[in-house]
Parts: sequence; structure tokens; C-alpha cells
Amino acid sequence: MTATPMPETAVTTPIADADHAPEDAGLRPGGLVYGAPAAAPGETMIAIDGISKWYGDFQVLTNCTTKVAKGEFVVVCGPSGSGKSTLIKCVNALEPFQKGQITVAGTKVIDKSTNLPKLRSRVGMVFQHFELFPHLSITDNLTIAQRKVLGRSAEDAKKRGLDLLARVGLSAHADKFPGQLSGGQQQRVAIARALAMNPVVMLFDEPTSALDPEMVGEVLDVMVELAKEGMTMMVVTHEMGFARKVADRVIFMDRGEIVEDARKEDFFGSPRSERAQTFLSKILQHRRYGDPIDTAALSQPSRIRILPMPSR
Amino acid sequence: MLSNFDFGVILTSLPYLFGQGMVFTLSLTVMAAVGGTVIGTLIALARLSGIPGLWHLAKAYVELCRSVPFVLVIFWFYFLVPYIGAYAIGSKTPIQVGAFSSALITFTAFEAASFAEIMRAGIQSIPKGQTAAAQALGMTYWQTMTSVILPQAFRNMPPLLLTQKIILFQDTSLVYVLSLTDFMGAPSKIAQRDGRLVEMYLFAAVVYFTICFLASFLVRRLQGRFAVIR
Repeated sequence: MTATPMPETAVTTPIADADHAPEDAGLRPGGLVYGAPAAAPGETMIAIDGISKWYGDFQVLTNCTTKVAKGEFVVVCGPSGSGKSTLIKCVNALEPFQKGQITVAGTKVIDKSTNLPKLRSRVGMVFQHFELFPHLSITDNLTIAQRKVLGRSAEDAKKRGLDLLARVGLSAHADKFPGQLSGGQQQRVAIARALAMNPVVMLFDEPTSALDPEMVGEVLDVMVELAKEGMTMMVVTHEMGFARKVADRVIFMDRGEIVEDARKEDFFGSPRSERAQTFLSKILQHRRYGDPIDTAALSQPSRIRILPMPSR
Repeated sequence: MLSNFDFGVILTSLPYLFGQGMVFTLSLTVMAAVGGTVIGTLIALARLSGIPGLWHLAKAYVELCRSVPFVLVIFWFYFLVPYIGAYAIGSKTPIQVGAFSSALITFTAFEAASFAEIMRAGIQSIPKGQTAAAQALGMTYWQTMTSVILPQAFRNMPPLLLTQKIILFQDTSLVYVLSLTDFMGAPSKIAQRDGRLVEMYLFAAVVYFTICFLASFLVRRLQGRFAVIR
């Protein structure tokens, strides 16, 4: 593993500095769009209000409603095809939806007066397949949106980019191209790229599903760091051991519906719905073939042990 | 039999052949290639835009250019457009469109149509996730296209792109029908004047072949260098 350990003691720049972005006067106190109310601490960051979505006649989301508070870490799980990825992509309107409304930090996602690119620039997103730009160096990947979207100078953008690259332990790779890095390294760069925009929320769409098993830990480590620093996060993942350790709340989806929306203790301890019980028991059964959850190890973010992927 | 031929005529006419003929051919090729690439890319974007009126228009244009013989359009544009233009602006005399400008416009228009199809395939070959990632970072449509999608599309297709330009280079010989002095027209004029048809056309063929063969060879060599590592 080429990852260098995170400099725990020499932390100067917090990864999540949504509260520390002096050059982004447009966001606070004005909210994502000028004139919109700002989100105060503890306030709702993401409000998903009764959204439904159809692909033609096929309904993928049915009346989904939930909230994510500032600083909260919410895991969205459920079987394949349950609509969890679609739901998270609705939050920054990468997927349009036909009914309901989503509000991010006071800004309505589906609204004529909303500047969608500006809203998206403050909502970080990490994809299953990394989606780094293969024709650009790692440094350029980290700076291009800062320069083009936020209008930062090349110098400022590079400083911010390299700071974050150091925080995900990849300083040595600044001049390489994405194709030269391993999957885990690419995903860490992708997280740094999203953070470079000073997002107020981070969305993760199965960030470890495309990784080789030995690289999953390094990506989850970065996410744990981020959660510790108080970033608001909504994470679609199959890593239930990770969810159990780090999440504040778990949303369980099945067939396009939010079936269960509970505190993590309640969800893992005593899931109310039969569908969630079935889902969990399948994963727990799977444990017979892998390591049981090692809670002691889980308390050390840098040595997180992960349950094997549930079989599909 | 070869003793009946006089290849010396080639040597004496070299300055004319290259100074006028080849310069004309190359300028027409380069200008039409650049114009065709830019306009073709815009047509490809229009076709992929999904905006109802716009993509119908782009599709109709590409289909039209594919469905009429090119030589006909060269003729049509050169002889008819001055009159149509005059009618349109209410002038009594045909408007003056120089032979070179006329040829350039026709070639650019056609090159744009065929390049639009290559570009469309090039853009579609870029994974959808790249667009999603760019948009998630807050990029607008144009920022996404110019910074993320088009640079990758161009790098993925040098073989096709450059092969298309080689074909364009050969096709410029069609301006022969307007009696222009390109690298086909120049040898032809010498051939008629001196009665040396075989020698001149043979020479023209050899030069076209050499240039196109070398260019194709270079394209293959370049192919590996440009590709984006995924």
C-alpha cells in the first residue's frame, strides 16, 4: 500500500472547513444562492420532502421523505435496485425528479430561481467509479473546478488542492495522472477534489463498491476523518460494519421507498420492518464466511476492519 | 515505349506545380479542416443537445450533406449562389464570390457535416459519469464540454480525425471542376498545353500517394501517444 499514514499531529488544515472559507462570501451568510437564509449549526442541511421519480412508467422512488442535520452522518443502505443511488443523486439534481422537493442549506433544488451549478459547487459528490478526469494530472483534477467554477486564482487553487492531497496522504502523486494510481488512491483524490470546493455537504455514492477489498479501508479512513471534523455526510454504502461504527442514522430503502429511518443503534439492534430484518440477517449470515465485526478495531479509524461485501 | 515520354516537363514545371498548385491545395485543406472541425463540433453538440428544434436542424443538415453528390454542390454553389445572393439582396448583378472563397465555403460545409458524425461518436464514447462528475463540481454545460468532455473526445480519436483530414486533402482535387489551379488543376493545365498527359497525371498521382501514405504512417505512430490512460 502506497498510502502514507495521515499526519495526525501536523494537521493544519481541517479537511472539512465549511466553516472556514473566507473567500466564499457568497455562501455565508447568504446561503447557496444570494439572499437565501444561511444554515445555522444543528439546522437541517438536506430536507428531502416527499419526492417521487419515474423512468417512463417505472417508478424508482416513491414518496421519500427524510432530513439530514448539519454535521450528521447518514448511511443509506438497501438491496440492489432499491433506489438508494438514485435518491442521493436527486440531492444535487444530477437525477431530476417529478414530484416533491429537496432543499439543501436553504436552497430549493427544483426551482427556477436556483442557480444549479452554484448549488452543486457546494455539494461535494464522490462516485462509485471515482470519475477523475483522465486527461488531467492529479493537481489539475484538484484545481480545475476551483478555478473555473469558484474563480480562484491558479495559485490559491493549487495551494488548497495540494493541502487536501496531503491530507489524504497522496502528496507524492501530485504530478501523476489518474490512470497511474490504484483505485483506492483515485477515490481519495476524488474526495479531495470534492472537498477543494469547500462543500457544506458531502454525498458518497457507493464509494468503495468498485474497489479491491484491500483498498476499501484507506477510503473509509478518510471518510471517518471527515465525519470527525463535523462534515455533513450522506453515504450510500454496502459496508455495514462501517455504517454500524460511524453512522449517526441509517436509512433503509427497498423498492424505491424509505422503509426505515432510524438511529443506528435502533436499526442494528432491533429493526422494525420485516424487510430490514431480512436484509440484515442476510448480511449477518454472510459473516459466517468472514471476520465478525471487531468493535475494538473499529474504534481505531486507521485500522478499520470491514465486513465482506454482502453477496448479491 | 517509355522513350516516347518526356519526364523533363515535370522538372521545368515544378515551380508552377508546387508554388501555385500545392499551395492552393494545402491552404484549402488546412482552412477547410480547421473550419470543418470547429463547425462540425458545434453541429455534433447541437445534435446531442436534445433541444427539439436544434437537433432536428443539425440532423437534417448532416443528412442533406450526405445525400447529395459533392461535385454537384461545388458546381451549384459556384454558379448558382451568386445569382441567389443577388436576388436575395435585390441586386441586378450577381454578387461576387471568388472561386477560392466559393470552394472554401463548400468544403468547410461538407467537412463540418462529416466531422460532426465523428465528433458525435467521440463525445458519446466518454462515460456519462464524467459529465456527472463535472456537473457535480458545479461546472456549467460549456465548462463541462470545453474542460472535460471535448478534450477527452479529441484525444480518443486522432486516428479517425486525421484520416478524415487526409481524405479531405484528396477531395480538394474536386475543385478541378471549377478549373481552379490546385495540385490536380496545375498538372492538368501543363498536360494540355504540352501534350504530356500521361507524365503529368502520373506525377500528380505519385505526389498525392506519397503525401497521403506518409500522413497515414504518421497517424499510426501518433495514435499511441495521444490516447488517454483510463
